[in-house]
Amino acid sequence: MSNLSDLLEKLGLARKGGVDNAGWGRTLVVAIVSFIYFLPVLMIIFTAFKPQDAALSVPPTLSPTSLFGLIPDQYVFTPTLENFGSVFSRVMTAGGQPEPTGFDRFFFNSIVISSVSVLLALVIGTLASYGFSRYPLKGNDTYLFIILTTRMLPAIVVIIPVILMFRVVGLSGSYLGIIMLYTAFNLAFTIWMMKSFFDELSTDVEDAARIDGSSETKVFFKICLPQVVAGLAATFVFGLILTWNEFLFALLLTGVDTRTVPVAMNQAVSSGGRGTDWTLLASIETLFLIPVFLVTFFLQGHLLRGVTFGTVKR
Amino acid sequence: MPPSTNTALSLSGVSKHYGKVRALEDLSFSVQEGRFFVLFGPSSVGKTTTLRTIAGLVRPDKGSVHIFGRDKTDAEIAGRGVSMVFQSFALYPHLTVYQNFAYPLVEEKVAKDEIDRRVRETAAMLKLDKKIDRKPNTLSGGEQQRVALGRSLIRRPKILLLDEPLTNLDAKLRHDMRAELKRLHRQFGLTIVYATPDELEALSMGEEIAVMRDGTVVQIGTPDELYEAPQDMYVAGKIGSPHMNMIRGRTAKDRSAVEASFGPLSLSRKIAAEAGEEAVLGIRPNDIRFAAKGEKGLDVSISMLEPLGDVTVVSVAAGQETLRMVLPESAATGLAPGQGASIYLDPKKFHVFRASSGQAIA
Repeated sequence: MSNLSDLLEKLGLARKGGVDNAGWGRTLVVAIVSFIYFLPVLMIIFTAFKPQDAALSVPPTLSPTSLFGLIPDQYVFTPTLENFGSVFSRVMTAGGQPEPTGFDRFFFNSIVISSVSVLLALVIGTLASYGFSRYPLKGNDTYLFIILTTRMLPAIVVIIPVILMFRVVGLSGSYLGIIMLYTAFNLAFTIWMMKSFFDELSTDVEDAARIDGSSETKVFFKICLPQVVAGLAATFVFGLILTWNEFLFALLLTGVDTRTVPVAMNQAVSSGGRGTDWTLLASIETLFLIPVFLVTFFLQGHLLRGVTFGTVKR
Repeated sequence: MPPSTNTALSLSGVSKHYGKVRALEDLSFSVQEGRFFVLFGPSSVGKTTTLRTIAGLVRPDKGSVHIFGRDKTDAEIAGRGVSMVFQSFALYPHLTVYQNFAYPLVEEKVAKDEIDRRVRETAAMLKLDKKIDRKPNTLSGGEQQRVALGRSLIRRPKILLLDEPLTNLDAKLRHDMRAELKRLHRQFGLTIVYATPDELEALSMGEEIAVMRDGTVVQIGTPDELYEAPQDMYVAGKIGSPHMNMIRGRTAKDRSAVEASFGPLSLSRKIAAEAGEEAVLGIRPNDIRFAAKGEKGLDVSISMLEPLGDVTVVSVAAGQETLRMVLPESAATGLAPGQGASIYLDPKKFHVFRASSGQAIA
């Protein structure tokens, strides 16, 4: 028994106790598991660079390089950028000229609609959650619960009344309509999330600022808000990912001009009657990943940073 | 009657309830300018609420707060000339030490170069000049404490409120900070209101101490007054270490003695109590000694010895009562539990309290 534990320890898979950096063995196990999770994404990214005929070839092509002869030639594909070009412009009818596909517009729509609605939700939600946290209403929890109920039904259940309402007031197909819907959609999440960050703060710090001569507005902007930057960043990223990938509302409530990428992606791939164009789909998806990837990457520092700041001994 | 001009602070009849919880009840006291005034009492007797009321963070339900003769009961927080150090220090975690110091001055719209001069002056005074660009969470507890103090002093407040400022520090640091606070008090001639649950802090720093219980003041006095003439059993039990011995009994017929379970204890005076009324007789451990030869003493048996270095606390059993006495270490050598002894209780040092109300009997 002790031989086994000694062996495990030598391999870096176990240790004698206490908290320390993980050994190489554990790190390797985590790397393997992470790779398995990441594999589908990697396959999509590779597919985006494959020539069309290599996408569904049997045996599958696995790598753009032979890794110095390590991988047999039949599994290697020659990478191409052609697919990315045809996202924005391609031949639509047999024998015709390449036509613009409108995807520049759809990407623009996706960026504007999701960033505006997430930012709006962040502004409104942060103010609301500060109110809920610092100036609780009678029956505060009930109000918070009611706000959460807006997220308890699946979208498919509420979509019909929403469509009808949008028709009546003429919001169907407009930027305003879909932005308002997404803002409302994000608010519940934003309020709950930000409230937990505000609840964490020491109110003594705010009282200290009041004694130091700050008005309530300044207490909020100069004292509270800077302390929840990590929370704002996290809420922004999560909200952005949810909104960026939203399909159902976008499918039914956006028009030709306001179409977002997930909807357009679906239509681009299923049109043409030639079956699914996997390389095209993969390249749209790859491009679609980039903005969220960049935002998450740049905010990562804030996302990982703890929310307690160590000045208060609790 | 309006408070006199050299009264820095006066609270009269202040009450504050949170729902059914009574935080402050008819609280009144006043503090002379330049005084080191201590609010003393265990946790949750309303010390913090009192300080927050003075600062304006809490609006009292009833009563008034006067600061330098002006009614500030409902005044804005800013402009009271009051600053406060919180038990948790409450530093601005996202700002550097420099910015923490500068914050109150920026809010007062002081000119930039004046701010810079005063920040550096304050940092130097508190020996923080090398830490000026650090964030609070990278500082030690003692340094954070000094930042909190500096931020309160930089505005040159007329009244400084300190809410258990030493509670979060370790023992050595506490000792140093006590000296530091006394020095700052002398140097600036500040009026200080200091809340603490620690008897040692209260007695060693306070020029005047208000003992609090259940949201109100039980007795106000100098440390000596509280020690020599506690007006209440509660005060008698809080001030002095080891605690005062409390002997239950009944007032004798001639009202010049208390009948304890082990026999009558005669007093040096007649007391203003009914004959037969239940009374509690208090005597400090320092006022009990062994009876001299030929002196009429009380026969007891020794139950426990606690050597504390230069003194020894001796517990003795007298009837059903256990009394504690403090003896110099030399007088306690050779004693052992179980031994019999004869002790002398100084009648002039007796404190008599009414058992029903706990109040001292004249």
